Amino acid sequence: MPRTLVKAGEVEGSYLTDGFTLRSWLLTTDHKRIAILYLASITVFFFIGGLAAALVRLNLIVPQGLLGSAEAYNRLFTMHGVVMVWFFLVPAVPVTLGNFLIPLMLGARDLAFPRLNLFSWYLFMLGGAVTLYALFAGGVDTGWTFYTPLSTMYSKGHVVLAAVGIFISGFSSIATGLNFIVSIHRLRAPGLTWYRMPVFLWSLYSLSVLLVLATPVLAITLLLVALERLFHIGVFDPAIGGDPLLFQHLFWFYSHPAVYMMILPGFGVVSEIIPTFSRKRIFGYKFIVWASVAIAVISFFVWGHHMFVAGTSLYSAVLFSILSYLVAVPSAIKVFNWLGTMHKGYIIFDAPMLYALGFIGLFTIGGLTGLWVAALAADVHLTQTYFIVAHFHYIMVGGMVSAFFGGLHFWWPKITGRMYPEMWARMAALVMFIGFNLTFFPQFILGYLGMPRRYFSYAPEFQVLNVLSSAGATILAAAYLLPLAYLLWSLFYGERAPANPWKATGLEWQTPSPPPTVNFIETPHVTQGPYHYPPPERAQPHG
Amino acid sequence: MAHPPTANPVAAELWRLFRIWAALLVLGGAEFAASYLPLPRSLRPLVILPGALMVAAVAVGFMEVKRGIVLARTFAVAAMFWLLVLLALGSADPLTRTDYRVPNAQVR
Amino acid sequence: MASAVHQDFQYSSPSHQAETAIAGMWLFLTTEVLFFGGLILCWIYARHWNQAGFDAGARETKLWIGTLNLGLLISSSFIYTAGIAFIRVGNTRRLIQCCSLTLLLGLAFLGLKFGLEWHDDFAGHLFPASADFKIAGPEGGGARLFFIFYFISTALHGLHMLIGIGLLIWIIRRARREEFSALYHTPVQVVGLYWSFVDIVWLTLYPLIYLVGRG
Repeated sequence: MPRTLVKAGEVEGSYLTDGFTLRSWLLTTDHKRIAILYLASITVFFFIGGLAAALVRLNLIVPQGLLGSAEAYNRLFTMHGVVMVWFFLVPAVPVTLGNFLIPLMLGARDLAFPRLNLFSWYLFMLGGAVTLYALFAGGVDTGWTFYTPLSTMYSKGHVVLAAVGIFISGFSSIATGLNFIVSIHRLRAPGLTWYRMPVFLWSLYSLSVLLVLATPVLAITLLLVALERLFHIGVFDPAIGGDPLLFQHLFWFYSHPAVYMMILPGFGVVSEIIPTFSRKRIFGYKFIVWASVAIAVISFFVWGHHMFVAGTSLYSAVLFSILSYLVAVPSAIKVFNWLGTMHKGYIIFDAPMLYALGFIGLFTIGGLTGLWVAALAADVHLTQTYFIVAHFHYIMVGGMVSAFFGGLHFWWPKITGRMYPEMWARMAALVMFIGFNLTFFPQFILGYLGMPRRYFSYAPEFQVLNVLSSAGATILAAAYLLPLAYLLWSLFYGERAPANPWKATGLEWQTPSPPPTVNFIETPHVTQGPYHYPPPERAQPHG
Repeated sequence: MAHPPTANPVAAELWRLFRIWAALLVLGGAEFAASYLPLPRSLRPLVILPGALMVAAVAVGFMEVKRGIVLARTFAVAAMFWLLVLLALGSADPLTRTDYRVPNAQVR
Repeated sequence: MASAVHQDFQYSSPSHQAETAIAGMWLFLTTEVLFFGGLILCWIYARHWNQAGFDAGARETKLWIGTLNLGLLISSSFIYTAGIAFIRVGNTRRLIQCCSLTLLLGLAFLGLKFGLEWHDDFAGHLFPASADFKIAGPEGGGARLFFIFYFISTALHGLHMLIGIGLLIWIIRRARREEFSALYHTPVQVVGLYWSFVDIVWLTLYPLIYLVGRG
């Protein structure tokens, strides 16, 4: 008799035991299995992108650049950016936690289009394979931003191949976003009105809107770059009257919403963890959910802030600057709501909560520094320096990666049916926090002092800060390897998880861990809002 | 009884579609004729306006965007809105930028 | 089985699923609007910075082919939608006829566009990357930009037409196998949305390519 906490009389087996052949995994249409397939893929991509980052930081420990070659360095930071942006950050939470949890949170048996879901994974793998081939067979030196005319005319790297790979993966994103939007509209269980949905669903809905609206513009942009490079027919070519800035407008029309694609799911994860580990309903539910929608909408109006010194008109720059200040408001509202949720709550410092707390602090720092660079005059000095690098890494790594790990730990019992080892997890979270700050805080100072980004060598007076940053990177790398080790260990030796180990609210906790293939034996009927925790005096912490 | 129950709905529907087709051809002709108007260069893009009506006719008449579920309409409206955002905000820069033109070089 | 209705396990009724499929196609078409929208922004920029040359290029287009193609596509949308009207009352035979006629109109479009028009454009030195491009001098750059837009947009539209033709063939084959009925014909509707959208793209490209520059 397996040591299990599933109640007698419930369905035997789970989605994990529903078929053991390779075929049953590679041809599955079960959203939970597809989430696992994606989890394996993005883990691989994360470590590839991390390897590139490690080499970048290694290069920067001496002022003249340890690797010796600017060309090699350019290809490394391009690899890091391309892999991390398109093959880790954009997909991470949506395709793993989103795919797994959305039907469960909706009380549905699968997404609206399960075969499209499987197809999206294959597209992702194909795009990833093509891109990795381009990056390893010599690489690309343009940065993940592919600016023209370097990318279209002068680069000697595998630009077209990389563009094709990213183009293909873009269709994977669009398919995922389409599936999520239609599912959230059409597959909600009886009684699950919009305002009874957990915040995670609102966040993923907003993310999906970005995916479907912005990614097509990236697609046409990459296509135009490839066509110009291959056939010398270029709308960006100034020699025939083309406008190189047109590329930047088109690119950033996608890429600014893209950074919100990366962070919105993180907001959603944190919004689920904080109420659970504060034993309290979320503060200001309607504000938080509409803030997600507002972020998604306004994110389309701010892209010009990446182009303040590119030569655009001053009037459009001013407009984009004002709009960029506007987009910070809903993000700030969310931070206040999370704090309000914790206020007078019963805080439990389990690993997911540590990650969520780290997220709040680090995301706030990253976000505030965004306001500095949204100011035109300040940006003239700070743009293309390490200040920008630190700004977005605080949000993406300090924020988003923390949220990803937080969510992974929070829902690990549900996904795998096992508990992870709590002390190791808390230690990893702390090591990650320390390593992260040591890596990236010096970069704020470096940028302020004027060290440019994407340069393989630097002035000698910057060395101490660079060495600190690289040292932090080694600690960070160790912190990422820890979860890889103990999470894998837990799959075989971890304590078996009950249906609801955190005593959390939410439909996904009302079904066994791991869930059966059909998710729910009977369609749930929802009668109350999310986060219906008892008042704090009667809070029951988990055992 | 005289009328078979299924023939009329189809005939009525086909007649409706025929009227839309005819309207599209008329609008197409109007657009074609409009291109002969002596508009100054910068106003020439207005020629596209009858085309916009044709797009609406296809969306409403053939794609039945008004008859279908609300969600479909929402998506269609969203498409138009975000297209406008892309084109309008994207045009803000060239329309307000001072450009210092260089003479067109011969292409390599 | 002609009257078989489709309801996958995550849906509450066949109509629930059918409406969801149609909504899904509309959302996909929204992504296509943004895709082509980026190209239209290119048109705006290219014409804004090079008005004289751009329009000089536009005057080299074959107006009669473009206009004839406009008529063909509008008619094809009409015919296909008529086919939907027929299958709504269960008339599979008429559906197949309408789809086949739509297919022919689509093929005629492609033949005119790529067989005739593009051929003439290449023969007339209008490929923008060629050294002996037809228009030289100060208008040369703008004219080249026009033809860059022309070739890319018509190629992309043609690609979408090809996919549409594949979908039409798929519908005809399924209809021949009696898979559609008055109760179930969602794929027919979904393909119809796609086909009409490809028509809409041409309705947008036609004035941008053939009419605006001619003045």
